[in-house]
Amino acid sequence: MKLIRYIALFIVAFQSNAQISDFDDIDFQKADSIALACKNEGLDNLPQLSYKLTSNLDTDAERFRAIYMWVCTNITNDYGLYSKNMKKREKYRSDSLKLQVWNDAITKDIFRKLLKNKKTICTGYAYILKELSNLSNLNCEIIHGYGRTSTTNPDELNAPNHSWNAVELNGKWYLSDPTWASGLEDPVSKRRKFEYIKGFFLANPKLFAINHYPIDQKWTLLSIDQAPSFEAFMEAPVIYGKAYRNLTMHSAPKKMHNLINKYQKIKFQYQLLKPIVEDDIRLLIDDGIDSIKIQPSVVSIQDKFLTLEHQFNYSGFYDVHLFIGDDLVSTYTFKVKS
Amino acid sequence: MKTQFKFPQKSLGLITILMIALLACNPVFAQTETTASKTQTSQDITVKGTVSDENGPLLGASINLKNDKVGTVSDENGAFTFPKALKPGDVLVFSFLGYEMKEVKIQKNTTFLKVVLETDIVEILGALESNKPYKSKRSN
Repeated sequence: MKLIRYIALFIVAFQSNAQISDFDDIDFQKADSIALACKNEGLDNLPQLSYKLTSNLDTDAERFRAIYMWVCTNITNDYGLYSKNMKKREKYRSDSLKLQVWNDAITKDIFRKLLKNKKTICTGYAYILKELSNLSNLNCEIIHGYGRTSTTNPDELNAPNHSWNAVELNGKWYLSDPTWASGLEDPVSKRRKFEYIKGFFLANPKLFAINHYPIDQKWTLLSIDQAPSFEAFMEAPVIYGKAYRNLTMHSAPKKMHNLINKYQKIKFQYQLLKPIVEDDIRLLIDDGIDSIKIQPSVVSIQDKFLTLEHQFNYSGFYDVHLFIGDDLVSTYTFKVKS
Repeated sequence: MKTQFKFPQKSLGLITILMIALLACNPVFAQTETTASKTQTSQDITVKGTVSDENGPLLGASINLKNDKVGTVSDENGAFTFPKALKPGDVLVFSFLGYEMKEVKIQKNTTFLKVVLETDIVEILGALESNKPYKSKRSN
């Protein structure tokens, strides 16, 4: 009985850590170079593309990596299609029949554009990743759900708006987001800029759950006591793509909007992906009129755990952004009572 | 020279039988071999067929041998001839972007395949990651 309990505990502990660090012994360079060599391949023959990407690799993790890397570097985002789709979906939100008709129409459009120009929106990325993986006998699923970003009005997400993937490697499931890994929206030109962010490959499910919430909760890949409720997800801080370049975990503050008292000390806690120096850490505090960049008053970095502290000495309403180097990591708001 | 080698009557009979048996053996061997190669050719199957969806023939659907790089695409009539002779047990993968993939196992008597692909039902969603800092809406 005791043994079973230990085994169960071991499995739970093991599962909660299903992330890239499980494959520390693998050098993905070979997979990446194969993906690069297939740069001019089209999508007209998926079985052959999948074969070319994976037949010379020895492990499932490398095979998935080659496919993932190919998708991230060859598929581009169609901003026009994205905004058209979002507007229509919002318009037909309460009319399931019309939404269905719209979805059928755009599906055809999407596959046509994908085939012709390798351009798509996130479901297209997730779809190609799944198809190519399945062709190489890898178990890969599309996960639909809610993605929270600074520009999707994070306080009012009323319908699923994003798709990503789960893949089974060596009997364990992992999460990846090929769309967000391959770039971000340029706020000025509204165009998508290619910038690969490696942290979205086999991401830590705990960090992933801060800005990804699957329609089916089991795909958080977290145990029931670890998975956030949908309400907690909606209340969580906004984290940015660059967070995945710097963090493996975001621990505190748990909420985006915080009501605090004057002189109250606020703790910020994170787990780091790579070592950083204190000098790289800044908080950008915006009171609506001016914004100032400060170095947080207390910083401790111990064994990749980062703790910051800040005290608000004046009442008011503040947007607080965490920067590590030039990377914008997360945002919180503080209403400071007098 | 009185002593001459003398075949005993009995051994002579036995040798004759053995020699005849040896002669008979040769054609038997040859025959077995021909039979073997014949069966193998009869197991190599040239597979033809058509690929279509609910609206008719599909142009450009790919047909591939599973876990191999051999493959072909369907023409404007949805027709194809698989470029490699197949064996029973081989699996052909039929695919076209936006359709559900279909696998067909080759049987002993498979020569013509009529494959209908079904449209993949996908919910189309898309949120963009952004590095634009969040900005609170302020009433004042």
